Amino acid sequence: MDDERLYTWGNPWFRWSVVSLVVLTVLSFLVGFVVLPSVQGDYRAGGFWASICRAAGLPGNWGAGAAADKAGPPSTSVVLASAMARSGSSEAVGRGATIALQQCSMCHGVQGMSEADAPNLAGQYPEVVIKQLEDYKRGNRIHAFMIALARNLSDRDIADIAAYYDSLPKARTAPARYSEGSAPALVRVGDPLRNIAPCIACHGGTDHKLGAPWLEGMPREYLVVQLNEFQKETRRNDSHAQMRNMVRSMSAKEIGELADFYARRPKGEGG
Amino acid sequence: MFLARKLVLAHFWVAFAGFLLAIVLGEWQMYVRSPLHEWINNPEHYYRSVTAHGTVMAYVLPTLVAMGFGYAITELALKRPLIGLRWAWAGFWLVVAGTVMAAATVASGKASVLYTFYPPMIASPFYYIGVVLVVVGSWIWVALMSINLRAWKKDNPGRAIPLAMFGNVTGAYLWAWTSVGAAIEVLFLILPVALGLKSTIDAGLSRVFFSWTLHAIVYFWLMPAYIAFYTIVPRAIGGRLYSDTMGRVAFVLFLVFSMPIGIHHLFADPQIGAGFKFVHAAMTAVVSVPTLLTVFTIVASVEIAGRLRGGTGLLGWVKALPWDNPMMLAVAFSFVMLGFGGAGGIINMSYQLNESVHNTQWVTGHFHLIFGGAIVIMYFMVAYDLWPQLTQCGPLPQGLVRTQLWLWFVGMLVLSMPWHLVGLLGMPRRMAYYDYSNPVLHPQAWTVTASTIGGLLLVISAFLFVYVLARAGRAAAAPAPYTFSRTAHANERTPAALNSFGLWVAMMIGLTVVNYGYPIVQLAVLKDTSVPAITIGGP
Repeated sequence: MDDERLYTWGNPWFRWSVVSLVVLTVLSFLVGFVVLPSVQGDYRAGGFWASICRAAGLPGNWGAGAAADKAGPPSTSVVLASAMARSGSSEAVGRGATIALQQCSMCHGVQGMSEADAPNLAGQYPEVVIKQLEDYKRGNRIHAFMIALARNLSDRDIADIAAYYDSLPKARTAPARYSEGSAPALVRVGDPLRNIAPCIACHGGTDHKLGAPWLEGMPREYLVVQLNEFQKETRRNDSHAQMRNMVRSMSAKEIGELADFYARRPKGEGG
Repeated sequence: MFLARKLVLAHFWVAFAGFLLAIVLGEWQMYVRSPLHEWINNPEHYYRSVTAHGTVMAYVLPTLVAMGFGYAITELALKRPLIGLRWAWAGFWLVVAGTVMAAATVASGKASVLYTFYPPMIASPFYYIGVVLVVVGSWIWVALMSINLRAWKKDNPGRAIPLAMFGNVTGAYLWAWTSVGAAIEVLFLILPVALGLKSTIDAGLSRVFFSWTLHAIVYFWLMPAYIAFYTIVPRAIGGRLYSDTMGRVAFVLFLVFSMPIGIHHLFADPQIGAGFKFVHAAMTAVVSVPTLLTVFTIVASVEIAGRLRGGTGLLGWVKALPWDNPMMLAVAFSFVMLGFGGAGGIINMSYQLNESVHNTQWVTGHFHLIFGGAIVIMYFMVAYDLWPQLTQCGPLPQGLVRTQLWLWFVGMLVLSMPWHLVGLLGMPRRMAYYDYSNPVLHPQAWTVTASTIGGLLLVISAFLFVYVLARAGRAAAAPAPYTFSRTAHANERTPAALNSFGLWVAMMIGLTVVNYGYPIVQLAVLKDTSVPAITIGGP
């Protein structure tokens, strides 16, 4: 070893390791970028250079035909942002209360607890109220009254109404623990083989996802109607068909059980 | 040893304490997922446990073992006191602080993102900062290994670096470069989102950076085991190392090839081109070369021991081996698990075969067998072998040690073989529960019970391991001076290429640029690739 010089072409270790590495690299690139793409029809279609670009991962015109692929109108055009989930100022709550008492309380209740099988809004997450009102306003969710009412609301009106309902206490139903016997399996664990996620993975329980509504205490009839509409695709304002995919393979009995569960009242409250 | 005794002990004890905790969590995961227990009510608890298990087993345990073993090698192989003892302690405390910070965050449910991070899931920033502290602590170790080697070379011009130290420094350089990928991912892509400065993240680019770390980290875990194969095993069983040069070649091949191949973890990721996937698959195949060289060399070394003990004939030497010696047992177990695990690994790295096992329980089986099995069993042996030096204890109870090794070997096979099987049947990994009442899944239920039983054997073995170490009594006399294996060819000349690192580090970096440069730059400049972050454990 002593005075053996390493970084010179005369050193066989240096020569052989550099040559082998270069040969190995060049060969594997040739196979990966030239030989293999050349035997694949869809790689070859755009010519030699295009097949190399495709093998390198350069995006082609992925987006070009996308619009034509999707049948029907878009399900929703609302983009959920985390800022929507923030609580409003007291001014916004006050202003929202004024609008809500004039326009919403008839069906949704003075305190946001409906007695007319319209959804409860008390304590509803603000981004949920904003998204649904925007969808009604843009015609992506259909309801004769709601479309007419939402049409005249400004962005600020919508944000303030959301802030008002967010400020009211949520309806809570016992029990808080999601255990076997106290909650249907679909609520607790979903059905993995049918690709049904547990309700509590998004709607509160184990986790709450942005845009997923608070469901506890909702009128049973409202829940059944909505799940049926998702199933029949007459309601389709859930982005990426999240809810439609969940409900698609459910039976009417299962839908009934889910609605029963979320609509249940604490003992002694009746109803 | 000179100065590093307490330092090495501290590293080992923290590593093994974390190991005990993490192995209990692992067994709990198996149990709640098995038909022996009703479905877990809150899957978040399951993922919380998986995150803690993975973080401790993948980051904390191997890092601390590699660091502690590295400090021990520095003193034992170079035969001089460790330079930079204070810095070494600082590195240790950084690792401890990072571990505590990350563990507390995981325990509070704010970081159930699994140890591989998986953006766009985003955990509390304290989790990532904790992991960064662990890595920064280990970088101090990298620097100290380099400094100590340099000082020794200066005082010993022209002498060959002892093989143990050569392997040790290879591991250090490998880790330094390997950890850069995850460091970039955490510092530039994840932390800005975790700290609330951004609400979207480029998940595809993040995954590419993580793959940079994800595969080579395996070879960082593996390095202490390979050092033990070459420099401890032949001595411990009364043989000679068949070839010192072969050991060096294996180490430098790991250095060059273990890093620029990580895209084979991303075969199912659409953001990477098929050409790069092929190149990475081909180069992953090359990494099996140093392992095959090692298996050959160590079997040859073991054969020398068998023949020295009077074994003759084609296979007679196998019978003559010291099978009651725990080291003999451990290296045999390790090679069996390395064989199965390595064969499975070749399936994983094949671009086409991977399709059928991708993200199934097969993969979990693979890395438990190869890391938890082949490598960790050698961590045990490193600790057993160093213990008299570290604690001045007498010989460890051989019967208990053998029982511990048998339990680990049998337990690991019973745990991981059913995983391989159901993986082939399509059982996905990272699931908190399975519906065994479903007729499609029902026939697979027994495999999960089997794995739970295998896991139980591992837990017993782990506690036995720590018990043996903790109960080791002080010996009356000082232990015999520590030695590494002698080679069969005492006058073997070490070429300059295998006595320095410059060439190999340059190749490692060059190959990284060639294999990773384009995918990273392309994804970095591509517009509209970020997706909304999903905060785990609340805002």
